[in-house]
Amino acid sequence: MDPRCRRTMLTRVKSAVANFMGGMMAGGSNGDHPGGSDLPLKFPYSRPEFLGLSPDEIECSADHIARPILILKETKRLPWSTGYAEVINAGKSTLNEDQACCEVLVVKRRPAGTDGSEDLTLHYWALFDGHAGSGAAVVASRLLHHHIALHLQEVMEILCTPNLLPPTSSLRGAAGAPGSPSTPPTRFFTEKKVSHESLVIGAIENAFKDMDVQIEKEKAVYNISGGCTALVAVYLLGKLYVGNAGDSRAIIIRAGEVIPMSAEFTPESERQRLQFLAYMQPHLLGNEFTHLEFPRRVQRKEVGKKMLYRDFTMSGWAYKTIEEDDLKFPLIYGEGKKARVLATIGVTRGLGDHNLKVHDSNIYIKPFLSCCPEVRAYPLGQCEHGANDVLVLGTDGLWDVLSNQEVAEAVTCFLSNCDPDDQHRYTMAAQDLVMRARGVLKDRGWRISNDRLGSGDDISVYIIPLMYGNKQN
Amino acid sequence: MAYAYLFKYIIIGDTGVGKSCLLLQFTDKRFQPVHDLTIGVEFGARMITIDGKQIKLQIWDTAGQESFRSITRSYYRGAAGALLVYDITRRDTFNHLTTWLEDARQHSNSNMVIMLIGNKSDLESRREVKKEEGEAFAREHGLIFMETSAKTASNVEEAFINTAKEIYEKIQEGVFDINNEANGIKIGPQHPTTNSTLSGSQGGQQPGGGCC
Repeated sequence: MDPRCRRTMLTRVKSAVANFMGGMMAGGSNGDHPGGSDLPLKFPYSRPEFLGLSPDEIECSADHIARPILILKETKRLPWSTGYAEVINAGKSTLNEDQACCEVLVVKRRPAGTDGSEDLTLHYWALFDGHAGSGAAVVASRLLHHHIALHLQEVMEILCTPNLLPPTSSLRGAAGAPGSPSTPPTRFFTEKKVSHESLVIGAIENAFKDMDVQIEKEKAVYNISGGCTALVAVYLLGKLYVGNAGDSRAIIIRAGEVIPMSAEFTPESERQRLQFLAYMQPHLLGNEFTHLEFPRRVQRKEVGKKMLYRDFTMSGWAYKTIEEDDLKFPLIYGEGKKARVLATIGVTRGLGDHNLKVHDSNIYIKPFLSCCPEVRAYPLGQCEHGANDVLVLGTDGLWDVLSNQEVAEAVTCFLSNCDPDDQHRYTMAAQDLVMRARGVLKDRGWRISNDRLGSGDDISVYIIPLMYGNKQN
Repeated sequence: MAYAYLFKYIIIGDTGVGKSCLLLQFTDKRFQPVHDLTIGVEFGARMITIDGKQIKLQIWDTAGQESFRSITRSYYRGAAGALLVYDITRRDTFNHLTTWLEDARQHSNSNMVIMLIGNKSDLESRREVKKEEGEAFAREHGLIFMETSAKTASNVEEAFINTAKEIYEKIQEGVFDINNEANGIKIGPQHPTTNSTLSGSQGGQQPGGGCC
């Protein structure tokens, strides 16, 4: 590459980073693509429906100076006495780009009229963390659960028959006529046995995919800005499922011990998948990036010399002779929270972002950003749970500053000091947790315990007591 | 709705003195005898008129319980006015005023206008704190003072509006830097900027539901 090009490239990437961050700073609700803003919004910006806020209250909630912690109103209750609290960022965007949804859905047999005894009840909690606008997060918070219900409806006959292994071919005829669950087709012993649990997992996975496709399609007629991560918890037939696409996190705290229920998807955690995709489809890099990783940017004078590198096949490091091609900007660059894919985005799974490109280029981010969640199942009904055993869901604003252990200690300690009959205890625990992560504004910014930096990000937290799941059956 | 200024208020004081009831009486003109304990922060808003100008009051109602004190403290910042409330039928709520005032002075901006309110004036027969005591405390600490009843609505309007008048006067005197939102004052979308020759007809720039 001619050095002038390289300089252009460097400038471009620098300004890409600046632009992305600048976009975050300016933070307008439609801080993305020109052209899309003429279209109407699919849903207006709001806070989670269950908070029941008036426009005046929403205005107050966006105070970046005092950063009020919003909780459920005294008169409102979520299923299972779930606690919820949220706070807006310290100024990086005008609006709170996190969204949340909590619903109890009843999935009915498709041919209506048949006896209702086999209705499936689905408990659903979800958090979405938007970026580059709030559109995708708002849309996903309003619609994702419907996609999940739709996919569960397709398999509910099987799910409602405990002794029936999912038949390899559908129970229904091609026309959708109901077959008889009692006479599954003959099984061959070589067939793979599929559990009910994996049918639910498959339903959640496909719901994420459908949600993403819907956002893509509706962008033609609506202004759906940006993208979002999605973290959902679903309780169904005695089991708890946690699906995660992004960098939010879920943990179970049981008898004070932490059980992780999700793992974050970041440029670092997904390096090999991203590198492999770029290796297989080099055109996705637009001839401006290299899929290889180096410990630092390679300099022109280093061509011909040996340097440490990693390819998609490696978790360790080796040496290679630097070639001209290695001078391109790395696909994954930066460390920790600052790591970016294509110098643009710091999260590698989520919904939306279909129009997101590398700044001043025609390189799309989306092929690298996957909407596929990782779903984990927890056999809730098979475990005993006390009043202090909870599932904690939080956006990265929480986990950036508090470890799993700190969260577990804080929640356990708070709940043990509560009146066990207090209906608001889980909400107060959520408020306490958000307060611990936000901290207090001092001369040198927001500070938490031990004078550490508090989170300047949007923070949203659910605290879901698991004992209600034991009572459910 | 268009306004010339927005003032942010905070209501503070011991639990059970009637903070939420004062707010409800002011914003909704009703009294709710049984009110759930406030466990975080709640918001109210109302438009008033001072000197012919529309002023939007944005009111933050806080939890009075000791266990929420650190959260409440973090909301003083960015308030232009504070209503410090005690209950005239409970001497202890009056005794705690010094602590509340210390908190307020320490965590707010120095120009914040503080209105001391002796609430529940309708319960004369159960009075434990004389009106003169409230007046003396206010005089000593440079506060404005009123006795109110959230139940009968007596003096409730006056308490909120007099506080706003005081803030408005301070703005006229140039005490407040109105361009610094940390002072709890926001200029409305149609307010002509100082030292500007613009006709002020360029309003309508206010983003809906934007930040305050």
